[in-house]
Amino acid sequence: MQAGTTNRLFKQALLAAALVAVVFQAARGQGANSKASVVAETAVRAPAAGAADSNASDVAKTLKAAAEALGLARWSGVGGQRLPEVDVINTMEIWGSGTAYAPAASSKPGEPWTAYKTEYHVALGYNPPAMRVEMTRTASGAAAGTARLHTIEVVRDAYAWDESQIGGGLVPGQGTATPAMSAAKARFLQLWILPYGVIKAAVAAGDKTTLSSENGAQVLTFPLAGQLAGVTVKATLDAKLEVAKVETRSDNPAFADLVTETEYSGYADHGEIATDILSPARIVRKQAGHPLLDLQIKTWDANNPYLVFPVPENVKQTAGH
Amino acid sequence: MSPRVLFGPSKIIAVAILLLLPAAAFAQYSGPPRMDHDSTVPPTPVGPTPTAPDGHPDLTGLWNGLADNLLGVPNQMHNVGIEVGADSTRDIQSGVQIATWPLQNRQRQNNEQNERAATLLRRMGSNRPIYKPQYWQRVKDFDANSNEEDPSNNCMPAGVPRMGVPSYIAQMPGYLIFVYPGQGGLIATATSYRMIPTDGRKHTNLEDLDGTWNGESIGHWEGDTMVIDSIGFNSTSWFDQLGGYFHSENMHVIERLHRDGNTLTWTATIEDPDVLLEPWTTTPRVALLNPDPKAILLESLPCSERDFAHVVTKEHH
Repeated sequence: MQAGTTNRLFKQALLAAALVAVVFQAARGQGANSKASVVAETAVRAPAAGAADSNASDVAKTLKAAAEALGLARWSGVGGQRLPEVDVINTMEIWGSGTAYAPAASSKPGEPWTAYKTEYHVALGYNPPAMRVEMTRTASGAAAGTARLHTIEVVRDAYAWDESQIGGGLVPGQGTATPAMSAAKARFLQLWILPYGVIKAAVAAGDKTTLSSENGAQVLTFPLAGQLAGVTVKATLDAKLEVAKVETRSDNPAFADLVTETEYSGYADHGEIATDILSPARIVRKQAGHPLLDLQIKTWDANNPYLVFPVPENVKQTAGH
Repeated sequence: MSPRVLFGPSKIIAVAILLLLPAAAFAQYSGPPRMDHDSTVPPTPVGPTPTAPDGHPDLTGLWNGLADNLLGVPNQMHNVGIEVGADSTRDIQSGVQIATWPLQNRQRQNNEQNERAATLLRRMGSNRPIYKPQYWQRVKDFDANSNEEDPSNNCMPAGVPRMGVPSYIAQMPGYLIFVYPGQGGLIATATSYRMIPTDGRKHTNLEDLDGTWNGESIGHWEGDTMVIDSIGFNSTSWFDQLGGYFHSENMHVIERLHRDGNTLTWTATIEDPDVLLEPWTTTPRVALLNPDPKAILLESLPCSERDFAHVVTKEHH
């Protein structure tokens, strides 16, 4: 057996013993709308040759510590003291407000983007992967006074659509759902670059996840998979092992809108129901040097609330499924 | 006296005794509590499946070999379809593997930390009923405020199908007897029993039924599976242990029980077009026959009402 192969197998064994990978496979999910997660499926693939430079057990230890720091890795003594720790995070709901930025229709490269006062409401889930982002934007500055814009953008598995109201398009006469398949990648990215998505995706990436140090901070680097294959995530942990900064990169010019930089700060339990899951109080995101989002969190319910993302029939039909 | 003798030729006497004694007398597995499993993976069937005189599987037995199915985090995770092994975890519904860190070098937790973790562990499964959108907020609110809203608090029945797998079944010619122990702890529900005809009768017209917690249940065999069809519910109960899953008076429940050796697999399908977008089926729950041949159902702890209105936090079961 080649030394390199032995080394790779050893690393894999260590990682498996210490961590046991999340294998985001065939996520059939809720009811008749089940469909495999494209992101998940690809993550199942075998570890790549030429494994990480960093020691696999160090990666595993860091991921475990980061998962515990966020409150993601949990066990309970309520009759469950003999069970291992598991990733408890599935669904979350977030409310916040701040500023969102977008290029004006007439803007030219280099010009500042238009700022919008934004009310932000997000429902998300990781099993199956899905996200519903509801934003109410009111232009400020020079564009103040323009129409208030209310959007509901949803993504689940291979489907993306816009709702005229929450759950629009599911019941006749109760709103509409407009397919938006081309937006699926950008919407999914928002899910996987949240602190919890970062830890889940880093675990799923197996021995492709590397650990390095920059300016005294630990940095996890790993590739995303499925629809987001081709995007690499670099996550910087702070001294408490909370995810402080997430940068995404891609060599694919078609993925230019997936190259982002997001900073998270002010971690605390922001839920109405205490969960000991820490979430950031502030999220600042940039894209191509432009500020994209500056959000102050009001509430972050992490208690796996009832949030569902059934795919409307017309969206399925449009997608050809 | 062995259970086989007790529930063989003398079944009628035994069941009569069961029904005559106060309901609260039946609860608690006589052996040591087994809430603290080291796995939530269903047990592998062992032994033959006994047959009743009519040729169908005999479901008779004390099905609390893993202790009562509603209590303890391992049982509750099993109920929502999370299979936790020593070093891997799987969501049965979605097939998703969930990150797992083996049991070692973890810090002790206080009661609050344990409860908060339990709240998450019980709700992490993917198998959720899909309500019509206009009811999404109500379900969420019911669950978030279940300390006050849970209709089974304060010693009310859990109802069908929320009561889950019966802890005791007596299979008689023409009917079944199910016994469900009362719950202690935060889920303070009353002990319940059901007498389910299997004689081929038809349902009463729904309009003629007064809605009840358990509804009108009628059983029949489909192959080796006992199928219990229930209608005629009140709209008070919730239909799963957790989640705030309310329903209308038009709920229709189909339970399926299948015995394989010393295991009993139970599912319930809920049809309620008034509030659900589509029928929903629980994740299969597997009960284990009590391995102690002398085990009996003992007296349950009395159900005590709680002053939930003055609970100041929302941590809940």
